Amino acid sequence: MTRWRYRPGQALALVALAALVAACAVFAPLYDRAMQQALTRTTIDGAPVVASTVQLEASNSEDPTIPIPTPEQVADRLPADVRGDFLPPILGYGGDADVIPGQASDPIGSLLWRDGQCDHVTITDGRCPDAAGEVLVSAADAKNFDLEVGATTRVNGRLYQRGNSVLAKTVHLTVVGTYTQEPDDFWIGRLLTGASGTLSQGAGGPGHIQHDVWLTPRETFNSSGATAAVTSSWAGYRIDADQVGVDEVLDLGSVADELVSLPTPPGAAPVSVATGIGDLADNVSDQIDQSRVTVPLLMAQLGLLAVVVLWLVLLAVTEQRRPEVALAHLRGRGRRGARRLLLAELLPVTLAGLVPGLVLAVVAAWVARTVALPGDVPLELRLPVVLALVLAAGVLLGITVVASVRVAREPVSDLLRRVPPRQSTWALGAVDAVVVAGCGAVVVLFATGGLEGPVAMVAPALLAVVVGLLLAHLTTPTAGLLGRRQLRRGRLRLGVSILDAARSPATRRTVAIVTLASALAVFSADALLIGERNRADAAEQAAGAPLVADVQGNDLAAVRSALDEVDPDGTQVTPVVRVPQPDENAGETLGVLREGFTAVALFPGGAPDQDDWAQLAGPDVDPTVLTGRTFTAEATGATLTSVRVDGTPYPVTLGLDLATPSGEILHTSLGRFDGTSDRVDLSGTAPCADGCTITGLWVSSLPGATISGTVTIGALQVEPSGDAVPLGPAEGWTALNDPSSGSMKPSSTSEDQLTVKVDGQGASLLTMPNAWLPTEVPTLTTGSLPPGTSGTDYEITGLDGEKQLAVQVGTLDRVPASGRPTYVADLDTLQRGRVVASTDQIEVWFAADDDGLLDAVTSALHDRGVSIERTTTLADVRDGYDASAAAWSLQLAALVGALAILIALLVLVVSAASSWRLRARDLAALRMTGVPTRSIRAMAVAAQLPAVLLGIVAGTVCGLVGAHLVMPTVPLFAVDPEVSTLDLSTAWVAVVVAVAAALVVLGVGSVLIGRALAARSDVRRLREAGL
Amino acid sequence: MTGMRVSTRGLVLIYRSEGHEVAALSGVDLDIEAGEMVGLLGPSGSGKSTLLSLLAGLFRPSAGKVFVGPHELSSATPRELDALRAREVSLMLQGAVRNLLPYFTPIENVRFAQGAARVVRGDVPSPEEVVAGVGLGDDAHRPLAELSPGHLQLAALAVSMATTPGLLLADEPTSQLDHEARDLVLERMALVNREFGTTIVLVTHDPDVAATLPRTITIRDGRVGGEGRSGEEYAVVTPDGFLPLPGHVRENLLPGTLVRFHLEDGNYLLLPESSEQPSEGRHRA
Repeated sequence: MTRWRYRPGQALALVALAALVAACAVFAPLYDRAMQQALTRTTIDGAPVVASTVQLEASNSEDPTIPIPTPEQVADRLPADVRGDFLPPILGYGGDADVIPGQASDPIGSLLWRDGQCDHVTITDGRCPDAAGEVLVSAADAKNFDLEVGATTRVNGRLYQRGNSVLAKTVHLTVVGTYTQEPDDFWIGRLLTGASGTLSQGAGGPGHIQHDVWLTPRETFNSSGATAAVTSSWAGYRIDADQVGVDEVLDLGSVADELVSLPTPPGAAPVSVATGIGDLADNVSDQIDQSRVTVPLLMAQLGLLAVVVLWLVLLAVTEQRRPEVALAHLRGRGRRGARRLLLAELLPVTLAGLVPGLVLAVVAAWVARTVALPGDVPLELRLPVVLALVLAAGVLLGITVVASVRVAREPVSDLLRRVPPRQSTWALGAVDAVVVAGCGAVVVLFATGGLEGPVAMVAPALLAVVVGLLLAHLTTPTAGLLGRRQLRRGRLRLGVSILDAARSPATRRTVAIVTLASALAVFSADALLIGERNRADAAEQAAGAPLVADVQGNDLAAVRSALDEVDPDGTQVTPVVRVPQPDENAGETLGVLREGFTAVALFPGGAPDQDDWAQLAGPDVDPTVLTGRTFTAEATGATLTSVRVDGTPYPVTLGLDLATPSGEILHTSLGRFDGTSDRVDLSGTAPCADGCTITGLWVSSLPGATISGTVTIGALQVEPSGDAVPLGPAEGWTALNDPSSGSMKPSSTSEDQLTVKVDGQGASLLTMPNAWLPTEVPTLTTGSLPPGTSGTDYEITGLDGEKQLAVQVGTLDRVPASGRPTYVADLDTLQRGRVVASTDQIEVWFAADDDGLLDAVTSALHDRGVSIERTTTLADVRDGYDASAAAWSLQLAALVGALAILIALLVLVVSAASSWRLRARDLAALRMTGVPTRSIRAMAVAAQLPAVLLGIVAGTVCGLVGAHLVMPTVPLFAVDPEVSTLDLSTAWVAVVVAVAAALVVLGVGSVLIGRALAARSDVRRLREAGL
Repeated sequence: MTGMRVSTRGLVLIYRSEGHEVAALSGVDLDIEAGEMVGLLGPSGSGKSTLLSLLAGLFRPSAGKVFVGPHELSSATPRELDALRAREVSLMLQGAVRNLLPYFTPIENVRFAQGAARVVRGDVPSPEEVVAGVGLGDDAHRPLAELSPGHLQLAALAVSMATTPGLLLADEPTSQLDHEARDLVLERMALVNREFGTTIVLVTHDPDVAATLPRTITIRDGRVGGEGRSGEEYAVVTPDGFLPLPGHVRENLLPGTLVRFHLEDGNYLLLPESSEQPSEGRHRA
């Protein structure tokens, strides 16, 4: 202690650095563990209850003669040593409650007992059943089946044998109450209601009307009288999220797997196990593996920086003790005594850093946990923490011994020199050469893919060590040359500054450390923002828009009408229709409104060119709309004839296909033609009060009969308004030309009439589509076209679920909120002549996560009888990505970057503190020769600043190269997104911020240090006797 | 321990400086008897500190031999040199504080200096005794920063004498002291020399210090340039027959001057060639 009271500043600096080394080592396992615990909590909390539960169910459905064990016996199947990780089991029985005599109006369904069931339903009438034969039925059943409180019903009960027959006992059930089910984890995802009055899905035959689940006490299954038939005995263990940690979850994963594969003893009812805990454990395990990459990646580099800094400070400290080491030699203690002298002084101090290091790590982990991790996870001092502390102690011991030995083995004559011998040549010293070669080899190995694992993770830092050491080594001779050249040219101030820098060992230290620290800061900031950007991009890709609402039903017209009302411009909300892929090989069709979609949807990485979207437009033909219920027309010059296979004529029917606003196609007949006629009056009716669009003109006959001839149709008008509807000219129609079925060719130049020439080859129906209908739908595609497609023509699934011809007009890298392959088409085009199938999903995409807008849309939809099923926000999706070990690990980068710069500042201060007398005396000597104060100050600053700037530039380059090398190995997601938006390009904003921070902190720091030195360069310093 | 005899034979030390070889010592022959107190004089750069370092075994000579007591230092192993420094040879560096561990008190410094000797020999005096022996008893436990320059030098002397070595080598022990402190230090060194019989070789620039010493050796240009005994200055003939001229004679006999030695009445007369008769340029050798 006496020794360190003499140099308390140095002692503090050494303890601080040693503490930092220890803290880096200890923090990694500490934070990693906390992260694992947080991860476990998040995973359990985020998983559906059914996934975090073990459900055991014994059933004798395959062999009704096997007795079913009690729920307690079923519950005992879970190994006793893990039951503490779960809440007390919920026990239950299940049975059938098929109402007899079993007529069509007698519902079937289930009878259920769950221990404590009445506490988890809302009893809307009556009371909780507590005696055998009492049941609680759903409110819907009470209404649908007239099962009010007090009603009785009979169901089949337990089977028994009479002679050769197996009969069922009759069980009388009395309704004592009605219930509704609210969401509750108690039911472990089981829906009790929703079946009332619906038909069961019968295998092949007609279904049977169903009732909801009826709840009854245990006695109904157990009583000595006529008891209900037990079909299953059940126990449900819900995980106790407050009790289990990461170790327990990982253990439970294997327990669950063993449980599932447990064989059934002969003669016993098989017990099925349903649990998602194995998957949860796998998820946690995967993320733990990821965290084992990122946390060491960052902390090891910071630790390396701290070790290098500590090493350099130890070098400075041992240099300062050269006279003391010389004394040990002079007093006959030899090298060993000299070493002991140094170690006796230095080792206790560096090892003393372990204690504050541990405290610092715990505090830092606590802060990081509080800031970055969700929940209130514990900090655990476990074996890895102790091992990390031992590792830190070993490193501290090692570098202290090496630094001490290095000085202690010098000859006493060298030790006694006032100015120690310095390397001033271009040649590399042995130690530096070894370090440079070693670090360089690791970097080269990594860059060429020959290295993986933890060592590879510190590649950026090692690269910076190589560059920093080489630069530092070149600095002294280069600066010496430059300085002397400047002096020869008469530039005193600049020359002296450079020579001062060349002479000072602090310059080399500064270059090396600032390079390393800047590299770490730049790398950390870059990694942090690359991670942020990728999670943001992935969230945007997955969400599609800031807010997406799934609409119930398939009333697209109502949805569009509502959205038009709320947002006439279509730039705030837009409809999107998702047509599911019919099979694995086909893609999903996405119907969008071009302008609205490009305005609302999120395109991470940049939106596609508007020109691409413009190509999605359908045929530029105005629809021919017919509004009314009755319409008439006039056919002239008709020569339409149909000839059956046997040669006999048959009348030809002519009609129109009309699409209702909802897309429904009305196949409407106008009249029949039986041979040649000059004029035929045509008429038809259709429910088109709201307007129907003419989609086709058709003629029909019998199958196999030919149709030929020409007809001109005109004077189409709607009754009773008398509004004329133009059928021509011919450009408004698309000629039918099918070699196998026949052709229909329009010809007309007038709007008022249309002439059609028909040549049918046996098809019973020929339809000439209106030109408003797309012959093929223009699409933008992502991913591959369906198998077997050649060129750009292919088939998509239309809104009605039917195949529709499409053409690929362009490709997209990604489609928001869609996987691959996806075919994007214009919704207006898709809607032409097609109805929206019930399997289609209609969504409303919002340009902003705006509750007001959502309310307005919800209200407008509600007015049209449409409701929103669920909403997904970008923020929700982003939260999902952020709550992962990968994200939490990368957040450390901010801490590491900041610490790296602060450590470099500490080095500047320590270097200045350890050499200030020498440098102040040099400056005092200049002052004595008449150099003005201002120049002295400028020289003091200039002696330090270039080294700092050089280090920052070199460090920035190293950080960027390091990030380029390492980022591909850094996990950014817990699970890779379905559609990759991976973008590992440099986050320049982060780099600029990191460099600016380094410039401000280190630049300003070095200026202040230079000024402080200048202020101490009083000429009286020259009289000082150096200690 | 009694004093040790010191001698050198043909001692040469050459070192390299900025690509050139420089002879710091070019053939020094020296004999110092045990228990003598000798001053090494000479101008800066003459080689006296280098000679002192060679006597302490800090350097190995380029040629020649160094004998300290029974030991020949030029061929001694590092371990032998450590043992020698631990027990028998002590070097007091120029500048008192360079001899002291700054965080120890004088008595702690003495104890530190005795460490190796205590292991090897065991019969070292107590630190208190050593400190008191140089007259620093009252300041034995005070921090160094509180000591005057004179007392610091005494503390350095105490450390150097901690093992009562046979040879004490002191480099400018009085250089930064005022007269009073200087005299005090010299007095203590003389006392040590008398009491323990320690051979003392000290380097000094100070003529007043030299005047107090019974014998001085002047080193000039890496050679023994002269010797003073009891105030009388002598030139010393080297083993190879050279006779360095004293400084004041060199001012009269410029380089290139031819001289003859003339034996007259048992004395040598030094006769420069240019003068017919011995006159002002006539020197008695």
